[in-house]
Amino acid sequence: MKRLLALLLTLAVALGGAAPAFAETTLEKIERTGTLTIGTRTGSPPFGFVNKQNEWVGFSIDLVEQAIKPAIERKVGKSIKVEKKESTPATRIPLLTSNAVDLIAETMTDTRARRESVDFSLTFFVTGAQFLVNKRAPIKGIESIAGKRIAAQQGSTNARILRERVPTAQLREFPDQPAAFQALAQGQVDAYTNDGIQLAGLKAKAPNPGDWVIVGDFYSYEPYGMAMRKNESDFRHLVNVGLMEAIEAGKYFEIYEKWFGPKGEVPYPLTAENKRFMIMQVVPK
Amino acid sequence: MRYEFNWSVLWSGQSGSWLLQGLLTTLEISALAWLLAAALGILSGALRTVPWPPLRAAAAFYVEFFRNVPLLVWMFFWYFGVPPLLPGAVQDWLFNHGAEFWAGMFALGVYHGARMSEVIRSGIQSIPRTQFEASQAIGLSVWQAYRLVILPIAIRLIVPPATNESLNLLKNSSVALTISVAELTFQTRQIETYTARAIEALTAGTLIYLVLCVSIAAVMTRLERRFAIPGLIARVGAG
Repeated sequence: MKRLLALLLTLAVALGGAAPAFAETTLEKIERTGTLTIGTRTGSPPFGFVNKQNEWVGFSIDLVEQAIKPAIERKVGKSIKVEKKESTPATRIPLLTSNAVDLIAETMTDTRARRESVDFSLTFFVTGAQFLVNKRAPIKGIESIAGKRIAAQQGSTNARILRERVPTAQLREFPDQPAAFQALAQGQVDAYTNDGIQLAGLKAKAPNPGDWVIVGDFYSYEPYGMAMRKNESDFRHLVNVGLMEAIEAGKYFEIYEKWFGPKGEVPYPLTAENKRFMIMQVVPK
Repeated sequence: MRYEFNWSVLWSGQSGSWLLQGLLTTLEISALAWLLAAALGILSGALRTVPWPPLRAAAAFYVEFFRNVPLLVWMFFWYFGVPPLLPGAVQDWLFNHGAEFWAGMFALGVYHGARMSEVIRSGIQSIPRTQFEASQAIGLSVWQAYRLVILPIAIRLIVPPATNESLNLLKNSSVALTISVAELTFQTRQIETYTARAIEALTAGTLIYLVLCVSIAAVMTRLERRFAIPGLIARVGAG
């Protein structure tokens, strides 16, 4: 037993000590490999998803390719390619800290707790949590969910808020969206809660979109940011410059229109308030 | 970049009680599923060796069908596929009383029952045919021969592979998180959500699984020695 313990300790020390050997900044890594590796979603339309033509596309992916990639290319002085890997709420921080990806570009809410582990870019999208219910269901928002069975996505901030604000609701947390929606469609749960935009995306893809309604006021504030490894301000600055230039030049709004406009994958018009917020994040040159 | 460990997240806040709840759920679902798996395994393992072909075929069908489909698929089957077959009132009652737990339990138990069956069958087949013939010669029926002679020997023989299967069952219970069962792995992810400290949470989960499995293996080894038949498998026990 003692020997086993010693072996485990040795392993732990070896693993912990191995990290500094790769003391290469993200920018140096991108310059060396010519590749920016991002973690994004495969099932979160329109941020990151696989479309009908079997292409991996989305709003977050476009922002990386059209706003952030040019800014990095200018800095390293050569063209780079963007490589995509799948990330989920449970895996995104480990993917970053293990150097498997350099940037999380999906639907990650910027929170103070997360800022203790990773750094965030500017906010690139704003939404809040609501509920998706059957059009005949009595649920109208967070005030009417006491005692009800509510599905949530595990690893999201919404489940946490519900647990604190409505402890009597019966939370069922699923690791992915399709399983949660299936549970809603079959009546295992009475409502599915997630960020409003996620629900809009799910509803748009459902077999009978008319059967589902999104209800309730935003009960949370969900500013989406791109996450990266902590304490790499030069890389973070580049990511932010890319986003700011895209907002300034109107490119951001074109991409927004492409995905969320009336003809987009998930219609979700940009409110005047949110547009103003995006513009005010751009600091002077 | 060097990862800075912060182990205090495991005992500050609610993490400790979450891990404990997760551990209890893991133990509950695994224990119930194990009982089901053992019952199904002994039954179908024995049936695969009896002298009546239709029963052998039925047991073989059960084994091949359930062990050759991934456990994840069975989880979804029992959770999403079975409830719609039940009457509305029963469905509603189930959904309010831990349907996901029972679906997960059945998925685990029935899947591992099929695997356990093969372990039992190999135990039975390793017993010389003459034992069965001798039982019949002293006037035991087939049922009595299995109950009083064949199974008691077979079960003693298969303790090591059955331990292996039981540990697999315990670890496979983590698949139930896909249908929202809040077991141990689920709770480690929960801690990660609240604290953004994945490595610490996963390490805690890993250690708990390790301790659980090592203790089960130790108990099984004792059982094996305690019940060994002298002259048959005692040479292993004596070592």
